[in-house]
Amino acid sequence: MAGGDLDQELPAIRGGDAGAFGRWMAAAEPELRRALRPLAASVDVEAVLQESLLRIWQVAPRVEPDGRGNSLLRLAVTVARNVAMTELRRIRPELTGDEVIARVQLARDAGNAPALPDPHLRAAITQCQEKLPRQPAQALDARLRSGGAEPDETLAERLQMRLNTFLQNVTRARRFLLDCLKRRGIPLEEL
Amino acid sequence: MASDDELLREQVVSAWRPRGRDGGVRSHPAWHDLPERERARAYDEAASARRLEAALDPEGLSTTARAVLARLRLPSR
Repeated sequence: MAGGDLDQELPAIRGGDAGAFGRWMAAAEPELRRALRPLAASVDVEAVLQESLLRIWQVAPRVEPDGRGNSLLRLAVTVARNVAMTELRRIRPELTGDEVIARVQLARDAGNAPALPDPHLRAAITQCQEKLPRQPAQALDARLRSGGAEPDETLAERLQMRLNTFLQNVTRARRFLLDCLKRRGIPLEEL
Repeated sequence: MASDDELLREQVVSAWRPRGRDGGVRSHPAWHDLPERERARAYDEAASARRLEAALDPEGLSTTARAVLARLRLPSR
């Protein structure tokens, strides 16, 4: 599905509107994550992605759209590449500069217009979520409510589960949802 | 029973990440213990998980986006 120009949020983001930045991230995150796919074995993509998004928020007030559309997203791809290089140098100090550059190659078509979300997907996932067994539902709900703010050890302790039990329940919940969606005719590649 | 690699991978799929002394986002400790082939798999599972999370969120935000929003330094205005 063709996407729109996310720069429509840029004026509000430049003015410090976190809500606008949230809307921008909701659309930009999948494309930015996809751009980092080739680096998944070399760096922790989640950490690189979050650090890049934080830096984009910091530099956004100085970003001028260049008229080609998705200026902020294209800048985010460049920032993510730089963050990945810095991280790779930090965790693999034995690599030469050329080796670091060779490893940090992003997906070729990175920065494309992101796909728009399917409005029917949420309804289907919600219906599947309601059918989750109790413990996987609790574990998944804890992850969602935490919003990445707490480590799994804390979430497991709150649910009075051992860490390994908590992790297995989160995995079970996600597989259950994906299987449920597949049965409803929503292919995994759409996710 | 899940294998050690599966348990490590599920931790890496989480959006929680520690902060360094400089305040920067750091790699998940479990990521360093994952073999390279498992790191790529963790990436794929995280990408899938974020789509599910965003679809379940009223504002379409994944836990990655929520974690970033929680760390923003908002301008004082």
